[in-house]
Amino acid sequence: MRFFNRVFWRPDVDDEVDEELAFHVEMRTRELVARGLTVDAARREAERRLGDRARIRTTLRRLGTGRNRHMQRAQYLNELRQDIGFTIRQLLKNPGFAAIAVLTLALGIGGTTAIFSAVYAVVLRPIPLFEPERLFVVGETFQGLPSSMSVGNYVDANAGVTAFEGLAAEQFANFNLSDAGSAERVIGGRVTANYFDVLGARPLAGRVFTPDEDQPGRDLVVVLSHRLWVRRFGGRPIVGTSIRINGRNSVVSGVMTAAFDLTSDGEELWVPIAFTAERKAMHDEHYLSVYGRLARGASIQQALQQLEAVAVRLRHDFPRDAGELRYSMQSFREQFVGSYRSRLFILLGAVGLVLLIACGNVANLLLARGAARGREIAVRTALGAGRGRIVRQLLTESTVLALTAAAAGLVLAQWFITGVVAASPPGVPRLEQARVDPVALGFALAIAIACSILCGLAPALRLARSAIQTGLREGGRGSTRGGFRDRLRASLIAAEVALSLLLLVGAGLLIRSALALQQVNPGFDPHGVLSARIALPQTSYGDPARARDTFQRLADDVAHAPGVAHSAVTSYAAMGPGGGSNGLLTEDAGAFDLRKLIQSQLRIITPDFFAAMRIPIVKGRAFTADDRRGGLNVMIVSQTLAARAFPGLNPIGKRIGCCEQGADGTPSYKVVVGVAGDVRSRGPATPPNPEFYLPLTQAPDAAWDWIGRTMYIVARTDGHPQAPPRCAPRSPGSIRTSRCSTYDRWISASRRRWRRRGSTRSCCRSSAWWDCCSPPAASTASSRTSSASGLRRLASASRSAHRPAPSYGSCCARRCGRSRSVLVSAWRLRSARAACSAVSCSTSVRPTP
Amino acid sequence: MDRTLPPSTELLHGTLDALILKTLASGRRHGYAIAQVIEEATGEAIVVEEGSLYPALYRMERKEWIEAEWGVSELGRRAKFYRLTPRGRRQLAAQTAEWARFSAAISRVLLAT
Repeated sequence: MRFFNRVFWRPDVDDEVDEELAFHVEMRTRELVARGLTVDAARREAERRLGDRARIRTTLRRLGTGRNRHMQRAQYLNELRQDIGFTIRQLLKNPGFAAIAVLTLALGIGGTTAIFSAVYAVVLRPIPLFEPERLFVVGETFQGLPSSMSVGNYVDANAGVTAFEGLAAEQFANFNLSDAGSAERVIGGRVTANYFDVLGARPLAGRVFTPDEDQPGRDLVVVLSHRLWVRRFGGRPIVGTSIRINGRNSVVSGVMTAAFDLTSDGEELWVPIAFTAERKAMHDEHYLSVYGRLARGASIQQALQQLEAVAVRLRHDFPRDAGELRYSMQSFREQFVGSYRSRLFILLGAVGLVLLIACGNVANLLLARGAARGREIAVRTALGAGRGRIVRQLLTESTVLALTAAAAGLVLAQWFITGVVAASPPGVPRLEQARVDPVALGFALAIAIACSILCGLAPALRLARSAIQTGLREGGRGSTRGGFRDRLRASLIAAEVALSLLLLVGAGLLIRSALALQQVNPGFDPHGVLSARIALPQTSYGDPARARDTFQRLADDVAHAPGVAHSAVTSYAAMGPGGGSNGLLTEDAGAFDLRKLIQSQLRIITPDFFAAMRIPIVKGRAFTADDRRGGLNVMIVSQTLAARAFPGLNPIGKRIGCCEQGADGTPSYKVVVGVAGDVRSRGPATPPNPEFYLPLTQAPDAAWDWIGRTMYIVARTDGHPQAPPRCAPRSPGSIRTSRCSTYDRWISASRRRWRRRGSTRSCCRSSAWWDCCSPPAASTASSRTSSASGLRRLASASRSAHRPAPSYGSCCARRCGRSRSVLVSAWRLRSARAACSAVSCSTSVRPTP
Repeated sequence: MDRTLPPSTELLHGTLDALILKTLASGRRHGYAIAQVIEEATGEAIVVEEGSLYPALYRMERKEWIEAEWGVSELGRRAKFYRLTPRGRRQLAAQTAEWARFSAAISRVLLAT
C-alpha cells in the first residue's frame, strides 16, 4: 500500500482518517466553547457526539482503502489507454521500425507456435481412450528384438494372466470394399471381440462385436471407423445393413466415434478375427498386435511376472516354436508417440532459439531507437514522470509490438503448420491434427508477453535510468550514451551470436548427414527410370500361370514402347515399396538348422532388370530368356549374400535351397548363375542386406500370394523423363496401374523418410524356412507393407515340415528390427498405406487375355 | 453510476447524499462545515451524525461524485476539503428531480383533503 501511496502522492489512509476526525472534533469543540461550555466539557461533548470513534475509524479506513484502490485502477487504466494510444501513434510515425520489429517477432512467434501446435497434437494432447495410462502394448521379443505375437502365444497369455482386465489382439489387413460405388482397398484390423473394450472405446452407433461373433463362420460382421463411414457412406444410418468386404456380404454392426480415428490413416474398419482351433494352436507365426488393459490395482511387475510364468510353460511345451519366447510390455502412450516426443521437443527448442534471437534483435532495435528518444524521455521526467512510470510506458510499447507480432505470427503459424505437416515423414501420429486452436492461441499470447518483457525490459530500464540521470542536459542533445548501454548492447549481440552459432552448428550437422546420405552409392542408378505399380486382382488372377504370363506380357509391352531403352518388372523396387525376405539354406550347409538360415530379400524379376536399374553383374551372368520354367532353376545372389553364404568360395554353380518345397519334401534347390552388385534397398543409410533374384518365369507359385500379385514396372528411357510416360497404354482395361512416377521422385520421397528414421534389421525364424516369405503375405495376412516405412513384416507360410500343409494363405508375419515393433503399427501402418495407395496417376493397362 | 433513490429505508441514506451534494454545490467545504450547513439550513431538524457523514463522503468520493483535497481551514488549520465533480453535479440534479417527484407524490396522498 505504501508503495502505491508514494506513487500516487496520497497520504496514508490511516493518517487521513485520523486527521480528518481530529479536525472535526476540534471544530465541534470550538463551537461548543463559543456557546459557553468549558473547554473540557466542550471536548467531552464533541467526543460524545462523534460516537464510537474506533468503529468510525475502522469503517473509514476500509472505505478509504477501497476508494484508493479503485482510483488507482482507474488511473492505471487511464494511463494505459494513453500509453497504448501514444505507442500506436509512435509506431505509425515510424512504420519502418514498426514493420521490422513486428515482422521479426512474428516470424519467431509464428514458428514457435507452429511447432508447439505439433508438439501439442502429437505429444501433449491426451489420447482419446479410456484411462490410456492403464493401456499397454504386449509383445514378444525374439533375440532381444521386439516382435509381433503368435496366435498360440496370445491365447495362452490371455488365459494365463489376471493382472490384465483383458488382452486384445489385432491383425492388420487390407480389405477390398466393393459395394455400390467403386472398389476400394482400405486398411483394417481383424480383432478379437474384446478389442474395443480393452482399448476403452465405445461405438458412436450400433455395437461392437460379441464373443459369439468372434467365431469362424459367424464373423461376417464389421465395425466401421467414423472416417470410413463419413467418407464412403456419407454418414447415413448404416448399422444393420450389409456391405461387401472381400467379396462377401458383412453386416455393419457398429460405427466408431471420430475420436477413435487416432491417426488420419489408421484402420478404417474392423472385423472379428475368429481364430480357428487350428490357429489357436499355432505358436510360430507371429503377426498379432496385442493390447492389454492393466487391471485396477495391478502393477506392471505383476503383469510381467504372470506373462513370464506363461512363457516358461510355453518354452517348455513348444521348444521348437516358442523356445525363445519372452513377453514384453510397453506403455501404449510411449508406443504411440514413440521417439517423436524427443524429436519434436528438440525442434521446439530450435525454434525457441530462433525466437530468442528475434527478441534480441528487437531489443537492439528498441535500444537504438531509445537513443533517439532521449529527449522525449527527459522531458517526461522533467514533467514529473517517475522511473516506474517511464518503464511502464516503454514496456507498453514493447507489449503492443509483441501482441501485434503475435497476431501476425498466428497467421504465419497457419502456413507453417501446413508446411510442417507436409514435410514431415509419414507415420507421425496425430500430427495432421495440429492446428491453431485455443491452446496454441494461449501459447502464442504467453510467449508474446514473455517476448515483450524479454526485449522491452532492458531497454526500458536503461532509458529510464539514463534519462533521470542526465536529465535535460544531455537529453537535449538527443544522446544518452553510457558505458552501461554499450555493455548491454554488446552482451545482447554476444548472446545473439552464440544462439545463432548453436543453430548453425545444429543445422550444419543436419545438412552434413543429409549430404552424406545423398553421396552414398545406392548400388543402382535411379536417374532416367520410370516406375509404376501394377496390382492384379486375386479374383481373376488366382491362377499363378495367368499372373506370370500377364506380367511377362506387360514387361514385353513396355519394352517395345517408344523411348524405352530397357524395361523390366520386379516384385520389389529398391528404395521403393514392396519387398519381402526368405530364409535361404545352402546345399553345403547340410541338415536344416535355424541358425544356418540366411534371411535374404527376394526380388522376382524379368531379365532386363539389371540393365534397366544399372545394377552391375559382378560375376557370372544375368538371367536370359532361356531361363524357362521347367528348365534349370536359377538364382542370382547379391555380393553380400555371396560373401555370407560362400565365404571365400566361388558362388557360381553352388546350389541354394529356398522358397518352395520340392516334390520329395526336400527344399527346392536353385543354382547360382550370377552375382549382382549390392543394392541399398532400405535406403542410403542402411547397409545392403543379402538379396537374391529369381526369374519371373521360375517364380514359385506361392510367391504370388506373398507379393499380393503386385509388381513394379521399371523402365529406363532414352532421354530424361519428366512426366509419367505412357505407363497407361492403349486401351482401358481392368488392371490398375498406380504410382506412376520417376524413380528419382520415388526415392527422394523415401529418402526423406529415411533421414528421420532408424534403419531396420530383419530377422526371421521359422521351421517352415523355405516358405519364409514376406510382407505382401497372402490372403489372410496383411498385404503390402513397405520397407521404407520402417515397418517390416517377415512372413512365413504356415506349411512346415512337421505339420500338414494348410493353404499358403496363412502366411505369418513376424516383424523384427531395431525399429519399434509392429505392435502398435496400426498407427504406423499409415506409411505402409502411403506407400501402397498414394496413387499419383491411375490409369489402366490392357489386360492380357 | 447513476442512482435513483430507493423508496424504502434507504431513503434517508440517499437523502443524506443529496443533502451533501447540495451543500457542496456552492463551493468546497470540509466535513464539519457540511454538517453545520445542513443542520443550520434545516433548522437543526436534521442532525447529521458523524458516523454517517464521513462514510457517506468516502463512498461518494469513490463514486467520483466529489473529490477531496487538503487545504487550510478558515482558522488556519490543515483540513480536508470536498468539492463537487461534474459527475456529482449531474447526480445532484438527478436526485433533486427525483426528490421533487417523490415528495410531490407523497404530498398528494398525505395532504389530500
